[in-house]
Amino acid sequence: MQGVDRRIRVLIAKPGLDGHDRGAKVVARALRDAGMEVIYTGLRQTPEMIVSAAIQEDVDAIGLSILSGAHMHYFREVKRLLEEEGASDILLFGGGIIPDEDVPKLKALGVAAVFGPGTSTQEIVDFLRQAVPERWKAQGLA
Amino acid sequence: MLRTHAQTAGVSLTAQQPLNNIARVAIQALAAVLGGTNSLHTDAYDEALALPTEESATIALRTQQIIAYETGVTHTIDPLAGSYYVEWLTDEMERQAMEIIEEIRRMGGMVRAIEEGYFLRELAEASYRYQQEVERKERIIVGVNAFTDEIPLKVPIQLVDPEVERVQAERLARVRRERDPKRVEEALKGLRRAAVEGQNTMPHFVECALAYCTLGEMMDVLREVYGTYQEPAYV
Ligand code: B12
Repeated sequence: MQGVDRRIRVLIAKPGLDGHDRGAKVVARALRDAGMEVIYTGLRQTPEMIVSAAIQEDVDAIGLSILSGAHMHYFREVKRLLEEEGASDILLFGGGIIPDEDVPKLKALGVAAVFGPGTSTQEIVDFLRQAVPERWKAQGLA
Repeated sequence: MLRTHAQTAGVSLTAQQPLNNIARVAIQALAAVLGGTNSLHTDAYDEALALPTEESATIALRTQQIIAYETGVTHTIDPLAGSYYVEWLTDEMERQAMEIIEEIRRMGGMVRAIEEGYFLRELAEASYRYQQEVERKERIIVGVNAFTDEIPLKVPIQLVDPEVERVQAERLARVRRERDPKRVEEALKGLRRAAVEGQNTMPHFVECALAYCTLGEMMDVLREVYGTYQEPAYV
């Protein structure tokens, strides 16, 4: 499947006042160990900071980690700004404490996947290895 | 006298098969009581799902009451006294804790260790190791990497009404409208002066609160004077 030797670039971001960074760091490290290039923003990022970092770093995907309950707001904002900046080709996904009820609403906003507590990091690696090259293909990059 | 507080381990509680968490909390709470804790917080079974419901919080409280009134564990001051294994474990924990304290001392103390990212690094290492142990099934978490059910069991969770945010924003706007702006300004100025001059800020916080300054306004002053913590880059 992966005849592409381009490396997947991912931005892992913590929006807002949410200080729960254990999961974000575990995921960032696992993606790096799987051979991806990972940029971790650190805490307290605004949607503007996240989108501008993503564009500057030319990433394939943005992963938001949200355990504060403010996921609807932040996913919506990041998606909106990506569109505004003409960067909606960047894959948006994420994880954290997100009620099952909200997952379909996030998907409707264009969030590609949402991973909750207990997810194995291999599952997240597999998701990106499938979804990112699919996008490259669609954009004629691979 | 050393007084201790214990809280059950939130991170050990799972989103999968959430009612299992009642058993986890009961065992952890009993361990805390056997260890002689002076006060105790028990987590609710929906810890990994949302803020607790009235029901889940009540069960967490009942768990403590069952331990206190039904087990007899309170009949003696130190039920595990004299247990060879527990004594050994206590010594071992003390030895390992002292090793870490020595390491911090060698680095030049607590503040240096924070600045050099020692704690962030140790935490990130430990959480990654834990995650890998779970994924390799070297550490079994019931309902997560073993004994997983085909049909996931759902429990009702606490959903915060967006109305709460509107009401709170309104209350804040009203406080700002109705307070004495002159007194607010003076109080914040006093706080800034105390912070800059390294005086006791406490009386100024009290005055700020009496003047209805918001927490955000008080913290803004401190951020301005002291700056904010920048996390050393590490993943
Ligand atoms: C540890 C913890 C803390 C620690 C955080 C330490 C740290 N530096 O991370 C401390 C003690 C500081 C803390 C504080 C608070 N906490 Co807390 N905390 C937890 C706890 C117990 C575990 C979280 C954790 O680290 N899990 C382990 C990691 C590895 O798992 P994870 O983050 O879920 O990540 C996995 C997945 O979610 C997913 N994932 C996560 N991020 C991402 C990102 C991407 C891109 C992808 C693909 C996947 C992904 O993959 C990961 C691997 O499986 C949870 C409850 C729970 N059991 O989940 C509550 C919890 C998150 N906390 C909560 C609360 C309320 C707070 C406080 C507000 C309490 C208070 N009143 O002060 C404060 C807030 C502090 C702040 N500024 O944000 C609530 C949130 C409620 C909600 N959202 O509805 C929870 C759910 C507990 C509860 N039921 O009340 N907390």
